[in-house]
Amino acid sequence: MKSVLKTEDLCVGYGKKEIVSGISQRILKGQFVSILGPNGSGKTTILKTLAKIIAPIKGRIYINGLLLDSLSSKEVAKNLSAVLTERPSPGLLTGFEFVSLGRYPYTDIFGRLTQRDKEKIKEALKLVNAEDLSERYFGELSDGERQKLIIARAIAQDPKLIILDEPTIHLDPKNKIEVLNILYRLSKEKGITVLVSLHDVDVASRISDLVILVKDGKIIDFGPPEKVINQEKICKLYDLKDVHFNSKLYTFELLKNNSRKEIFVIAGAGTGTPIYRMLLRHGFGIITGIIHENDIDFHVASSMRLEVISEKAFQEIGKNTLKKAFSFIDHAKAVIDSGFPLGSLNRENVELIHYAIKKEKQVYTLRKREEAYELYRDLSKKLIYLNDFYSFLERA
Amino acid sequence: MRRISLFILSSIIFVFLLLINLAFGSVHIPFKDLFQIVFLHSSDSTASSIIWNIRLPRILFASLSGAYLSVGGLLLQVFFRNPIVGPYVLGISAGATLMVGIVMLVGISIGLLGIHPFYISISAAFGALCVTALLVSLSSRVKDVVTLLVIGLMMGYLCYAVTSILITFAEKEKVKGFVLWQMGSFSGIVWKEFYILLFSALFLSILLSIIKKPLNAFLLGEEYAKTMGVNIKLLRKLIVIISSILAGLVTAFAGPVAFIGIAVPHMARLLFKTSDNGILIPASAILGADVTLMCDLLARTLMSPVELPISSITALFGAPVVIFLLLKRRATI
Repeated sequence: MKSVLKTEDLCVGYGKKEIVSGISQRILKGQFVSILGPNGSGKTTILKTLAKIIAPIKGRIYINGLLLDSLSSKEVAKNLSAVLTERPSPGLLTGFEFVSLGRYPYTDIFGRLTQRDKEKIKEALKLVNAEDLSERYFGELSDGERQKLIIARAIAQDPKLIILDEPTIHLDPKNKIEVLNILYRLSKEKGITVLVSLHDVDVASRISDLVILVKDGKIIDFGPPEKVINQEKICKLYDLKDVHFNSKLYTFELLKNNSRKEIFVIAGAGTGTPIYRMLLRHGFGIITGIIHENDIDFHVASSMRLEVISEKAFQEIGKNTLKKAFSFIDHAKAVIDSGFPLGSLNRENVELIHYAIKKEKQVYTLRKREEAYELYRDLSKKLIYLNDFYSFLERA
Repeated sequence: MRRISLFILSSIIFVFLLLINLAFGSVHIPFKDLFQIVFLHSSDSTASSIIWNIRLPRILFASLSGAYLSVGGLLLQVFFRNPIVGPYVLGISAGATLMVGIVMLVGISIGLLGIHPFYISISAAFGALCVTALLVSLSSRVKDVVTLLVIGLMMGYLCYAVTSILITFAEKEKVKGFVLWQMGSFSGIVWKEFYILLFSALFLSILLSIIKKPLNAFLLGEEYAKTMGVNIKLLRKLIVIISSILAGLVTAFAGPVAFIGIAVPHMARLLFKTSDNGILIPASAILGADVTLMCDLLARTLMSPVELPISSITALFGAPVVIFLLLKRRATI
């Protein structure tokens, strides 16, 4: 397949100061490629060099098989467009006029728009769902709306490759997802190659065909996210110490601290996750069980490096596992019943509650009284009922 | 629609101001006579010669000057993305002032007792040209436009420093004449000078109609403009050259005229409610002509028969307008 962008031993920087070197990459038509790396790692420098805003220190860049240096600025503009971190503010241009600037390389010397130009502009506005902004002044719009117009302008330039430098940085979650969704559709539906620097590892891992990790002046790894993104590399990339990255869930979790006020959380099917996060934030030590190894709570708890008492996936809970759990309850300050669904495979968890009551531990539950009675019968009278798990903090 | 009617309205105001300017002055000429003189060439000798030889060239020159300065200011405001920039920011007037200072104060008057206005014009143009040439040669080498702006400002300071040394050692009478020149005046403009301006206007309007497109791209900043295919080096040169011609020509014949170039582009933006330079360039030109005609009328009539320097009126009028408009505005540039 033909490569839209190719670099050979590219070295980028300002003047003689090398920022990132040894970049040899090949990006194909319609690929969605993310560049990840900490602040100051040189992502912007790479993107600006590729967009021909700054000159490379050495190496070659090919756009559509043509050497970037040999192209006139107009030809470059027909092949690639950019969304930069610099935030333009032409206050009194309407949305339509703003997007029409993207037609620059195609219009005549007086900048007159032809019918075809106007259609391209409308199409670009439609692609970013911003048709309603075409009559409004740029200066009156919100950050999210402006960003959509900025992207529409880049689309109106009709490029083969769009380069975007942190396009989601000032946006709220809704706009962030919308912008990324637009870019994803551009790459998949329109076949436009998207090269974007992002800070959201989670999102980048989900939508990218290819990720490039930049750190300390070089590319430390690249490839499909499933191959490249893992706990070790992400922690190394961002120098993470008190945070864990879960490469299955693509989430960051705070790590367990060494508090001794330990709470035993009986969990399962994701009911434990919010409780872990809350307890961890408030400095509790956490033990959790008995959960199966295919449970979401298991992955989250392992990410946080909690003490987890687990059973193999789809197996009934064994005697030894139960014993292990009992011994942890002996040392726990309190027990929380997260209100997990009870089924044939995790029935032994009821035994844990029995045991805790016998040992005169305080047992909190998030279940309703009726539900607890159905499950635990007489035992239910000895439980402490919580309306939600925040009220645990007030009581404990 | 709104824009078209604004253009028509400002043109009507222009014609109206032309007539008022022709009629009023140290000698009042009634409108009835005015029509006869202008259209029927009836020659009541004094009134006719006041109109034809003094007022008409001056008024036409003043209106073109206003247009020039306003467009020059607009170009530089967009180029530097800075709302308080004017046509003289690159040191054009400072260069002209220095050269005129050398001629008027040091007295290199080539043996003549009085200094012929022609020499002053030539030296002002030469000073503006020197500064422009220097800026053009630097324009493609500097990293970004802000550096260019700072260089322009510094050149201005350098020229003024030398000028102030000249003033220190100059004779009193010469200093007064020089200070008055520095505040600008349209008095004594002759047809020839107007023709020079008019002729250059043809050439400039072609350049302006071409520069409108990259200038619009520049609204997004220099880096965006690069990615859109704007030839940055060429544009920088063109902007420096065009804005220098615009400001230099006016300064050569009328001296530095303050404030028109800063205030009028803002008026154009806020009245026409657009940042599109395709509209702002003609809008600034016509509004610039209107404002300058009004200021010149005041300069001539307020303290008649003493004529005030044009810059004192433009600043008195312009400063409050700019403050008002900037406080009122919703968006930048």
